[in-house]
Amino acid sequence: MTVPLGWFIAVSAVLFFIGTAGVLVRRNAVVILMSVELMLNATNLALVAFSRRYSSIDERGSVFVVFIFVVAAAEVAVGLAIVLSAYRNKPTVDVDEIRQLKG
Amino acid sequence: MFDVIEPALFAMLTIAIVAAGAGVVLANRITTSALLMAFTFLSVAGMFLLLGAETVAMFQVLIYVGAITVLILYGVMFTPQSPRLYGLFFQTQKWWAALFVIPIAAFVAAAAFAFRDSATIGAKGGDLMPLATSVFRDYAFPFEVASVLLLAAMVGAIVLVKRDED
Repeated sequence: MTVPLGWFIAVSAVLFFIGTAGVLVRRNAVVILMSVELMLNATNLALVAFSRRYSSIDERGSVFVVFIFVVAAAEVAVGLAIVLSAYRNKPTVDVDEIRQLKG
Repeated sequence: MFDVIEPALFAMLTIAIVAAGAGVVLANRITTSALLMAFTFLSVAGMFLLLGAETVAMFQVLIYVGAITVLILYGVMFTPQSPRLYGLFFQTQKWWAALFVIPIAAFVAAAAFAFRDSATIGAKGGDLMPLATSVFRDYAFPFEVASVLLLAAMVGAIVLVKRDED
C-alpha cells in the first residue's frame, strides 16, 4: 500500500509547527534562522507531496520547490550577514538585546 | 512484501524528522541544533525519495545538507552562545495564548480530518523530465530572475560582512 497523501501533509504541518515554535521561543538569532529553514522545508514537503500525487494533472509544485531552494539559500546568506554585522556593532546575538533599530 | 516497506520507511522518517526537529528547538548547545538540523534535512530528503521525487531529493542534499548547513555552522562559529536559552518559555499570558491557539488548532484539525485523498496514484517514472520541462519552458523567466536574486544576495552578503579598511 502507498502511504496516503494526508500523512505527508501531517508530517509537514508538524515540522512547520516545530519551526514556528523555534522562531517564537528561541532568542539566539542563529537558531531562529535554523527554525526558519525548518519551516521552509515543511512547505517543500507539502509542495512535493501534492505535486507528486496529483502529477497526472500537473507537476508544477516541484518547480516552486526549486525556487524555494534558491530563495532559502539567499535568505540564509543575507540573514547570517546581518547577524554577523549586528554582532560586530554590539557583541550579542540575542534578539532581545539587538535593538539598534528602535527609535 | 513491498506493501510493508513503504509505510515502515515513512514511519521511520517521520520519527526522525519530528525528533530531530524538536531537538533543533530544544537543544541547549547551538552546535547540536545545527547538526540536528542537517539530520532533519536529510530525513526530509528521504521523504522526497519516498514520494518518488529523486531530483528534488538530490537538490535537497546538495543545497540544504551541503551548503546551508555549512553556512549556519559558520554563523555558529563566528557568534557566541547566549547564556539565556528560552527567553519566552514561561509567559504570563497563557490564557490569552490558549484563547487564540485553540480556535486555530480546531480549524486546522477539522480541515485535516475532512481531507480525503482523491489523488490518483503518483506518477510513474522520475521527476527529472517534468521538472526540467517546467523550469526551462514555462518558468524560464522566473528561473533567470532567481539567478539574479542569488547574485544580488551574494553581493549583499559580502558587502554586509566586509570590514571597512579605511
